[in-house]
Order: sequence, then structure tokens, then C-alpha cells
Amino acid sequence: MASTSSSTVRSHPVVFTTQTPYVLPSQKFMIPLDWKRYQLSQLINKALDLSKPVPFDFLVRGEILRTTLLEWRAAKGVGEEDTLEIEYFESVIPPQRMSDIPHEDWMSSVSYRIPQHFVTASYDGHLRLFDYSQNPVIDTSVHQAPITSVCVVPSSSSDTESRILASSSHDLTACLTRIYLSPEGPSASTVASLHLHTSPLSCVSSDASGSHLLTSSWDGLIGKKRRKTAPVNIKRKVPIAVLKSHTAPVSKALFATGLHAKGKAYSCGFDSTVRTWDVESGVCVNTVNVPERPMLDLAQTPDGNVLLAASTDRTVSIFDLRVSNSSLSSSTGFMMHPATPSCIATSESGKQQVVTGAYDGVARLWDLRSTKGAVTSFRVWDGMKVLAVDWAGDVVSIGGEGGVEVWRIAGGS
Amino acid sequence: MMAVPGLGKPLKKRKQEELEDVEKRAFAEVVDLEMQSEEEEEDEERGSDILSDDGEVDDFPEIDAASDSDEESEEEEDDTDDLDEEDTLEEDSDADSDLHIFPKSKVVVSDITGQKKTVYPEIEPDYDSDSSTEEDPSRTGNIPMHWYDDLPHIGYDINGKRVLRPAKGDELDKFLATVDDPTSWTTAFDKNTQMDKPLSAEELDIIRRLQAGENPDAEYDPYEPTIEWFTGKGKEEVMPISSAPEPKRRWLPSKWEKQKIMKIVRAIRQGRIVGSKPTAADKKHQFYAIWNEPPSNQPPPLPAPKPKLPTNSESYNPPEEYLPTEEERKQWENTEPEDRERDYLPQKYSALRLVPAFDKFIKQRFNRQLDLYLAPRIQRIKLNVDPNSLLPKLPSPGSLRPFPNYKSLKFTHTKARVRCLSISPDGAWVASGDESGVISLWEVNVGREVKRWTLGSKVGAIEWCPRLDVCFFVAGTEEKLHFLMPPNLSPAVLTMTQSTLAPATLPPATQSSIKWISSSGAVEEGPILVIELPGASGLPRQLTWHRKGDYLASVSSSETQGGVWMHQISRRHSQAPFTKIKGAVQMVLFHPTKPHFFVATQRYVRLYNLAEQKLLKTLMPGIQWISSMDIHPSGDHVIVGGYDRKLCWFDLELSEKPYKVLRYHTRAIRSLHFHPTYPLFASSSDDGSIQIFHARVYSDLMTDPLIVPLKILRGHDVKDGLGVLQVKWVNKQPWLVSAGADGNALVWCS
Repeated sequence: MASTSSSTVRSHPVVFTTQTPYVLPSQKFMIPLDWKRYQLSQLINKALDLSKPVPFDFLVRGEILRTTLLEWRAAKGVGEEDTLEIEYFESVIPPQRMSDIPHEDWMSSVSYRIPQHFVTASYDGHLRLFDYSQNPVIDTSVHQAPITSVCVVPSSSSDTESRILASSSHDLTACLTRIYLSPEGPSASTVASLHLHTSPLSCVSSDASGSHLLTSSWDGLIGKKRRKTAPVNIKRKVPIAVLKSHTAPVSKALFATGLHAKGKAYSCGFDSTVRTWDVESGVCVNTVNVPERPMLDLAQTPDGNVLLAASTDRTVSIFDLRVSNSSLSSSTGFMMHPATPSCIATSESGKQQVVTGAYDGVARLWDLRSTKGAVTSFRVWDGMKVLAVDWAGDVVSIGGEGGVEVWRIAGGS
Repeated sequence: MMAVPGLGKPLKKRKQEELEDVEKRAFAEVVDLEMQSEEEEEDEERGSDILSDDGEVDDFPEIDAASDSDEESEEEEDDTDDLDEEDTLEEDSDADSDLHIFPKSKVVVSDITGQKKTVYPEIEPDYDSDSSTEEDPSRTGNIPMHWYDDLPHIGYDINGKRVLRPAKGDELDKFLATVDDPTSWTTAFDKNTQMDKPLSAEELDIIRRLQAGENPDAEYDPYEPTIEWFTGKGKEEVMPISSAPEPKRRWLPSKWEKQKIMKIVRAIRQGRIVGSKPTAADKKHQFYAIWNEPPSNQPPPLPAPKPKLPTNSESYNPPEEYLPTEEERKQWENTEPEDRERDYLPQKYSALRLVPAFDKFIKQRFNRQLDLYLAPRIQRIKLNVDPNSLLPKLPSPGSLRPFPNYKSLKFTHTKARVRCLSISPDGAWVASGDESGVISLWEVNVGREVKRWTLGSKVGAIEWCPRLDVCFFVAGTEEKLHFLMPPNLSPAVLTMTQSTLAPATLPPATQSSIKWISSSGAVEEGPILVIELPGASGLPRQLTWHRKGDYLASVSSSETQGGVWMHQISRRHSQAPFTKIKGAVQMVLFHPTKPHFFVATQRYVRLYNLAEQKLLKTLMPGIQWISSMDIHPSGDHVIVGGYDRKLCWFDLELSEKPYKVLRYHTRAIRSLHFHPTYPLFASSSDDGSIQIFHARVYSDLMTDPLIVPLKILRGHDVKDGLGVLQVKWVNKQPWLVSAGADGNALVWCS
């Protein structure tokens, strides 16, 4: 109707809110119903008189606006008189491929936690370190069997040249490798091997201080280990605690982050559970059972509010820890994927955005406020699986069947 | 009269009477009276005759009929006697030309009395005066005359002389005789004299009478006057025949008859017996209202439909809102009269006098008449069955989750088609073998190949050992079984596996054509143990483990000894359980709980008890060629698939015939597998599809298993007519791994 009679464009009362520095004065706007994101974005740009145009995305009732307001209103059945509160944020510019580092073998894990360098773990048992210009810095064979995950253990010391890498492997051990990034010549040496499991390990992760490690394995055990500083020779190490409650292979275990997360850890496994552990006592505090949803990966937002678990039924479940601080009971949302999601990475800066990689070779950027569809997706490889993603700053590094690719995601809040 | 004693008399009485009858009959015979079966009736008749003092005998046809037949038979006897007499007499008067057969009597006046008397010619009282006087020349007697056919004579005369055969003319003479002799057509051949004899006039007369259907006796007079022998004046019998006193019943009226009659009289008085009305009254037609009188034996007819009352829109001056718009009018005119919602258009007239004549009057009356005439008298119950309601109520597939419904990942064998695969008991690894001899070990979840063995020849079957304390799998190639260990085992499992497969001290070797060869070194690269099957045994088509992981059964494609071997790992011994077996063995299976062994031949599945060594059961699936079989983890149900696309579900508790036959695939079924824990099974076919079924088996024996088709998984390409060659479920997870002829192994996740 509005299109037929342009003279009588109907409008809708709208209030804009934002968390960005681009704040509009709080007043009611009458927005024509045939406006889309582009017009709204232009409106804000014009109203603020920005020198450089900034594209915005709009959230209406927790959902990103992708159609005209009229269509949205018709779909939702919102009355004409209700004042809508629209939140806007800087929209994500389509990601750009920065570089790719082809590998001969599959990448099982990738990390971008060492400044200016990527650490990759490969199925041929090698740990590799690349700098920004894709030059291999270190290539060391740590395991005889495929490495399943690698993590950079944060160190409290200000020694920027030496880092500890923890890697887990199919050969039933996890290894600590010290690398030296000295200008005269980088070198790597295996520091310790961690023994506990009787099945291949699925992941290794460290806590924020870098003093403790968690290893999870297909035999359903999670080992907690203390990282001793400066060991001289290769040592066999045994865990200081074994977290034993899973009935099926554990796919991921990680220490909780955030404010209330002291001494907590989360784990997920093929028994379709997400478990919360008290690390000090080694007791399972809480179990969330999501029926028939074997978990492949687990991630937590940096503020520690949201837990995300990827499962084989092509969903990523969202567990909102704010709902009940002490115990979660069930998932609060889903992100549906067209293929099996294999890995999740949360952004350090943005609190609401998540990158997932899936077996169809597509990485997807999601906004936790709008789980209906991905904000943007970028095809990394055709028909090859994405096995690992890591997101640091505005760089997303993606590892998988075809090697490693680095993409830049700009924008976002 | 005759019916009365039959109806009313009690048995005793009747017996008594019969006795009397017998007595009387005996008496009658003695005095040579006329024999009559119904003596008593005769008596009664006579009694009634006496009562009605001048009754006619002909008034009682029942009795007459009975007595007549007797008389007739007697008469017939007499007739025959007469005929005999006649014959003899005829021959007497043979020479006479007149038609009288009896000797001619002459009426003369008696010399003595002076009265007329008939005089018969004297009869010569010689030996056979009453028989033929003609001399028969031949005295041979009554013998077959053809005995003399070859002889010149036809017998001997009384003197013992030969009677020569009369000269017999040829056919021409016969013909000439018929032409010349005018009497030749009245001759007949006489056997005794062996010649034609002319028939006499009497014989011709008899023939004519027989032809005409008359009595052959010329003298017979059917209308002879009756001779009254016993009746009439002066012939009354004064003396009684019997001296017995006359029975009472001759003069007392019958008590039983009276009772019978009184019963009828009572019935008539009470109105139970109503005489038929005079028929003249029915001839006049009466008119009656067919609606008023419902026939009592059927449900009342529906009342005639009432005409609809007119509504507002039918008014001559309806309110404005009832008037049709132009569009409605056009639409009304365009629709068929049958489809119209109403058969008029509202029209508005300002006054009643302006209303024209009702143009549809005749049509409407006619329709009303039609309505009345064709109004249905019977309420027809239309069989309106929803076809969907006939389908069995199956739960929706959505409520039966989880089941695999999408392709999670793909593992590709580059060289050849993937023939077989097996999944480790912990559900983490898949070993898949292809036709170029490559076995790949890869993760179920990531699809990453971890190790590859190249065995050189086509891999026919792979099966992972079900034991959890050891970790190895068996692969069958041409005449060999290879035992392979995956890498990266924990030390405990590794040593256990090694000690199982390649123990330091070998048990004593048994006499067998099958060699067990353990390779001590280089275990990492090649097989740790090789079983060499006898030569020409061909490719092992199937391997199956007993659940305890000690026994391994292999089925080879060759026909010798059924191709079935049983291998015991702990004793390192192989044996062929069947010396001979009917048909080519397709598959074997161990029962999950009992010491039973299933053997599927081309058409039948036989169940053997291994402990007692006897055949327990033969399942008849009705499949032309069985391709695959699997047993439910409970051990009570077996599914059998065939190359003719059929899938049969057997309940072992029930029958040898399938409980259910499913035919959902369009090409041959290749593989079947029950999920070890979930109520699922999968079937794969050459049409490139995998079908997932929900199969819930209840512990309650009264409840039938529930089989629900859930999902058809398509993802394999059909190559060279081959589709999905094997499907296997992942332990503990509702995931399926399938091996296809297109060289891909696919993982299907829920």
C-alpha cells in the first residue's frame, strides 16, 4: 500500500539506542516503513554529521534488521502504535582474506596468541610458527602422531622471547614446548610430556595465569596439571588432579574466565553434556544434559557470560551463564548451521560476536543477539573442512584441511 | 378314508392290525381268494358300502388304485399265457390263409339236446400236439448256429443224417429275387433252416399291430362285457368268509378321528383356522395412500422433502442489500445451473401489481414432482472412508530422534570402490578397505586418515575385534586374513593385543590346512598375524566375531566346504564347522547371547546350535538370493536382505516365515546393520540410498516390534551398477558410516 501511494508513506515511531560512541539524542523518530538498513544507516550518519561515513547495523528486539520495517512488522505482528527501540552498532565490513599459508597436512589447531606470530598444529605431528609475512619461523616435530590441539601458555614474566606451547596428541601425551624467539635464531625444545590418558587426547588448554593446564581425552578423563617453571630436562609429569565424570570422550575442557569464574572449569563431551568443575577439589559441580547432542567444541566469551558448544547435530548451543550464576540448566539458544560446526572462537574485543567454522569449509560470523542467521559468512575452502579458528584482535585465523588462512574482520563493536 | 388310520392310530393299534392282516392274508391264500394288500380297507370299504347300502366302488379311487395295480399284474400274467397259447395255435393253422389263429369252431345243432353247440376240431393228443407241427429237419437243438458256419451241413436230422445247407445264391441272385418275386419282401431268414422263409399272413398281421402299437393279438377285445361273478341277484354271499366275530371298529365311530376332527372344530371356533375368503372380493382394485401405511418389515421411509420456505431475498420487494451487484449477477449467469448457490436472482418491484408472471412456475412444479418421485426411500449410508485412516498409525519420525539425517563428512578412497568398513568398539575409528587393497584408518569425527596399509589384493571384509582390552581388526584378502593393529595404543592395550595375537609361547600346532603365521618384528607396519586359508578358497566375503572376541568366522567366496571357517584366537586353531552344506553360504552370524549360529545360504537361513551340533530352525524368507543379514542385539529378531530388493524381518519366537517384508529399495540390498544400542537399523542398496528404520523391540512378548521408516539418506553415486556396499553404525552414537562403490566412505550424523 505504501508503495502504491508514495504521498502517504506510513511511518513508525522509533527510538534509537546504541553502545557505540556515535550516540543520537534520545528522541522519537518517525521512520518510514519502507526503509531498510541502508536508509537507517544514512539517517544516523546524517544526523550525527559524520565526516567519514560509518555503516551501521540495526537490532530490533534482539534481531538484526534485514528487511524493510514494514515486512519486519508484518512478520512479527507488532502494532502500529508501539514504539520500537532500535539498537545500532557499527556493521561488520565483509571480511577480507589477508593471507593463506598452505600446508601439506591438515591443520588441527591454530593460535594467534603470540604477537605477530601464528602457531599451527598439524596432523603430521609438527608445531609450526609463522610470522606475519608467512615465513616459517620454527618447525619442530613434537609428536609422532597427529597433534589435536595447541595452546599458548600465558606467562606472567615479561620475557617476550620465550614462550611455552602446550600440545595434545593422538600418542596419548601432551607436551610442553618452549620456544625462543631470539633475534639470532629461533629455537624450540620440548620441556615436558604429560602422561595420564589411555586414549588420544582431544584438547589442551591453560588458565589465564598459565600455571595450570587441562587436558581432555577420548577416554573420558580430564587431567589437571601444574606447569612448573623452568624445567631443565624433559620430564614425565603426572596430573595433580583427574576430573572424572564424563561417560564418553571429552572433546574440550577449558578454564572459566570472567569475574565469578575463579577455580572453575567447563568441559563438554560426546555424552551430550556440558559439565562445570570445581578445579580445586576436582568435583563436577554442575551437569547440563542436552539430549542427543554430542559436543565437539566449547568456547566462552571473554567476559565469562556466555558458553557456546558446537555439537554434531549442526547446532551451536548457547548457555547464558548470567541467567543463573551458579548453575546452568539448559541451553538458551541455538545457532543452526548447514554443516557440522567443528570449532568456535570468540572475539577478545567484541563481547557479542563469535566465529564458527564448519565442515563445509565456511566460517561464519555470528552475533549473539541475533541467532537466527549468521551476520556474515566467508567461504574459506570449497569442500574442505574447517577444523580450527582463532580470533585475536581483528584477525581471524582459520585452520583446516587446506592449511591456514588469515582473514581480517573489521568493524563490529 | 385311507389317511385316517395312518394319521391317528397309535403304534400299538397299528401293530395289532398288521397281525390281523397277516392272519387274514394267510387265510385268503388258503381259500384262494383274490389277494389284496389292503385287506382292511377292503373290509372297511365293504362296511361303508354296507353303511351307505348302495355305494359305488368307483368312489374310492385310492383303494382302487392299489387294488387295480394288483389286478393288472395278474392280468398281465394271464395275457402272457394266452400269447403262448396263441403262438402254438398259429402254428397249427399255418397253412390256413385266413387270419384266425385259434382253431376254427363250428356251431352245430346237437343231436341229443337239439340245441346249438360249438364244436372244436379234434386235437391229436400226441407228444407235442400243442407245439409246432412243422417238422424241423435239424435236430441239433438250441446251440449257436455259427458252429456250422464252416461246414457243408447245418445239422442232423432225427435219423442222424446230415441236413445239407440249402443252396444260397450270391448277391445278384438276392437282388434278382427281390425284383422277380413279389413276395420276397415278406420273407425272413430262418436260422434253423438257414434259408429265407415267407412270413405267414398272421405273422405279418402281428408285425403290423406291433408297428401300430396295438395289442398283437387279433382276437383281443378291449371292450368285452363284464361278467358279474359275485355280485348281483342270487350271488350274495350268505356265509361269512371268516368265522371270527366282527371287530368293533367295523361299527363304532373312530375315537381318534373324532379327536382329530374336534381339534379342527375347536380351531375353527377359536378363529385360528379361517377359511379362505371368496376370491371375487379381491378382483376390485382399492386405492390407498402409500405414505400413510408404512410396511412393518422395513424401516419407515423418509418423509417427503418439504419445499423450502421463501426467504427475504425471494420477496418481490427485498431490501437493497439482498439485490445482487452487477458482478454477482454476471457471475450467477456464468455459472452452471447445478453449481449455482441459489436458483434465482433477487429482484425488486415497487408494487406487487408490477410483478410479472412467475416464469419458472412449470419448471418448479416439475422439479417438485421429480423431488417427490425420486425422493430417496432408503437412507443410503455412503462408505466414505478416508484412505489415510486405513494406514497404520506410525509415530512421526520427528518423535523418534535421534537418527542420522545429514552427511557430516566424507572420506575418499582415491583408487577404487570401498568394499567394506568396520568401526572400532569405542566408536572413534573407522577402518575401510577398498578393492585395490588399501585399508585406511580414520577418525569418525574428523575424517582424517591416520594410517594406511596396502595389502596388495582386494579387501573383501574388515571386522574390528569386539573386545575392549585389546585393539585390532581383521581384514580379509585373497585367501588370507590379516590382523592389524591401529597405532597409538596405550601400553596396556598394546601388550595385551600382542600377547593375544603373537604370544611368546605358541600353543601346540594342530593338524589343519590353515596356517597361522605371526610376525614378531615390524608390527608397526604390517599385520601382526596372518591366517592363510586353503588355496582356491577365494576372497573372504564376510568376517564376523563372536561377542567375546575369541572366535572369528569367515565366509569365503569359494564353494568348498561351504567356505565357512571358524577361527579360535586363543588356541590358534581353525576348523570348518560344516562338512557339507546345501547351497552357497552367503553370510554367517553368531547369536549375541546363545551358542547359536546363523548360516544364510542362497535362499534359506539356518540356525544351528553349536553346543549340541544340530539344526534348530530354518527360516524361509522367500528371497531369491540372500545378500545380507543381521541379528538384533536382543537376539530374538533377524533381518534378512536380498538381491531382489526385499527385506524380511523375522521374529525368532514366532514363525519361520517373515513377520514383515519391506520392499522399499529399488535395487538390490547390499548391507544391513542393527544399531547396538539405539532402536535403529539401516539398509543400503545398489540404488545408492541408505534407509534408516526405527525398530523398537518390546520385552513384552505380546507386543509386536514397531518398525518405522525414518529417513532415506542419499549421497553415494551409483557406479557400475553398484551403490552403497556396506553400512555400519557407530557404537554409542546414532551415527552411520557407509562405504560406497564411488570410492567414498560417508559419515552420517544425527
